[in-house]
Amino acid sequence: MADYEDFVRAHLPRLLRYATMLAGEREQAADLVQDVLVKVYRRWSRISDAEHPDRYVLRMVTNDYLSWRRSRSARLIAVGDPPDEARPDDFASDHAAREDMWQRLARLPRRQRAVVVLRYYEQLPDADIADLLGCAQATVRAHSRKALTTLRHGLSLDRMAQAKES
Amino acid sequence: MEIENLIKDTFAAHEHDVPDTDRVLAATRERLDRRRAVVSRPLAAGAAVVLLALGAVAVVALNRSEPDDRVATGTGPSSAPAAAEAPAKPGIGELAMPYSLGWLPPGKAGYLVRRINIGGSAANPDQPVYGGEYMLTVTSGPQVLLVDVQEMRSMPISGAAFKSGPGRPVTIGGRAGVESSNSGGPGGYEVYLTHPAGGSLYVNVAAQPGSTASAQQLTDAGRRVAENVTFPGTTTVAPAFGLGKLPDGRRMCTFDIEEHGPGGARTSYSVGTCSTLPPIQVRSDEADRVRGTAGERVQGHETRYEEEKGYHTLWILKAVHGAPIAIAGPGPRAELYAIAEHLVLPR
Repeated sequence: MADYEDFVRAHLPRLLRYATMLAGEREQAADLVQDVLVKVYRRWSRISDAEHPDRYVLRMVTNDYLSWRRSRSARLIAVGDPPDEARPDDFASDHAAREDMWQRLARLPRRQRAVVVLRYYEQLPDADIADLLGCAQATVRAHSRKALTTLRHGLSLDRMAQAKES
Repeated sequence: MEIENLIKDTFAAHEHDVPDTDRVLAATRERLDRRRAVVSRPLAAGAAVVLLALGAVAVVALNRSEPDDRVATGTGPSSAPAAAEAPAKPGIGELAMPYSLGWLPPGKAGYLVRRINIGGSAANPDQPVYGGEYMLTVTSGPQVLLVDVQEMRSMPISGAAFKSGPGRPVTIGGRAGVESSNSGGPGGYEVYLTHPAGGSLYVNVAAQPGSTASAQQLTDAGRRVAENVTFPGTTTVAPAFGLGKLPDGRRMCTFDIEEHGPGGARTSYSVGTCSTLPPIQVRSDEADRVRGTAGERVQGHETRYEEEKGYHTLWILKAVHGAPIAIAGPGPRAELYAIAEHLVLPR
């Protein structure tokens, strides 16, 4: 199983980054990736023959995330309700803006968050995202559109711009 | 566009949250070594309270000729393949577990039981060691407990690692061990007890996510489960179909029986020499996963066959209560058919 070890060593950093963006929390990302790597080990003879084992495993992480949060919802760390209206001092710095966005991302429905991560973090084209999620490209676009609409809701970009200028 | 840049910046800013690679790699290796069960997967509930038939039943021997549960290599009389001595009579043989559970929390239990490759021993890392595992979901009213009992023959209790919280010494049923309890954590109650044949026996009792149980309840249940495990086991489990005569040099290496599956109990076997990872999987499958082109009929059933980069899969259609059986591996096509022809299918 030396090739399994080599594969894991080569791809683990990317998988962990991806899982962190999906799960939004370090320990849960570690759990998610560990679960997948154990499954990969058990199926390695099959996976290693796949045309793109890395893509296959990325799909496993995605699928596990989509079902994983469902079964472990009681363990999720509460992120708190985002404020109804942004306060000026929240956006006094880019850091605050990013933390606010991080919380909003954490509240997105699973598939919407997965699409956002795949599109804006992994920077995959819609066709690849659709392949990973097992859905149509139109569905990917719909998820993305809904996610962006949700994220914009209550987020006053004008006020953020004003805060930057002041 | 600005919000999209903010999203990208937000992800980039949180890359420092990524877990340490070495730590995750080490934890994964540890899990592979221990073959710890992923107990959070909900198992189907609603079965009878007494879930496994207890009693001395003629069974397909599975590595039982080897006192240390190491797999025979076929190089001498003492290591003659056990499973090649398949049931002489037509009929689905029951499968034996290496140990039995004498007590379970009250309630209805659903189960997944398996004999699994739990890695190599410290003395001989290239030779697989096999162990047994029970994964149970016990439902009592609104409460659902997940019970996992697993042999970890290659790991002594000194190597115990817990999902939540540090361990503390404990003696249960006269056997030394270490335990940890955190009812709100992912581990619930965990204990590693000294295994009579070496290594350890791992017992984990946790509340299913969404269900609750006090730490004391989990501890009491976990200790009692551990105290009542008996070696060797007399527990047998009925698969949905059996392996018949296997090709020369091949034997059953592992099995995996889940209470609910397509056509009844979901059944999976690994078949091979058992001295390396088993190369052939024989399992109940789902009809919508069947692919390939029509193959030769097997025991009167239509088949489908697919070859993908040297990996072959043969499906026997409507083999188990309307569901297919898949036989898959890198071996030659003829070997898959030879296994298929001798499978013991339900009548």
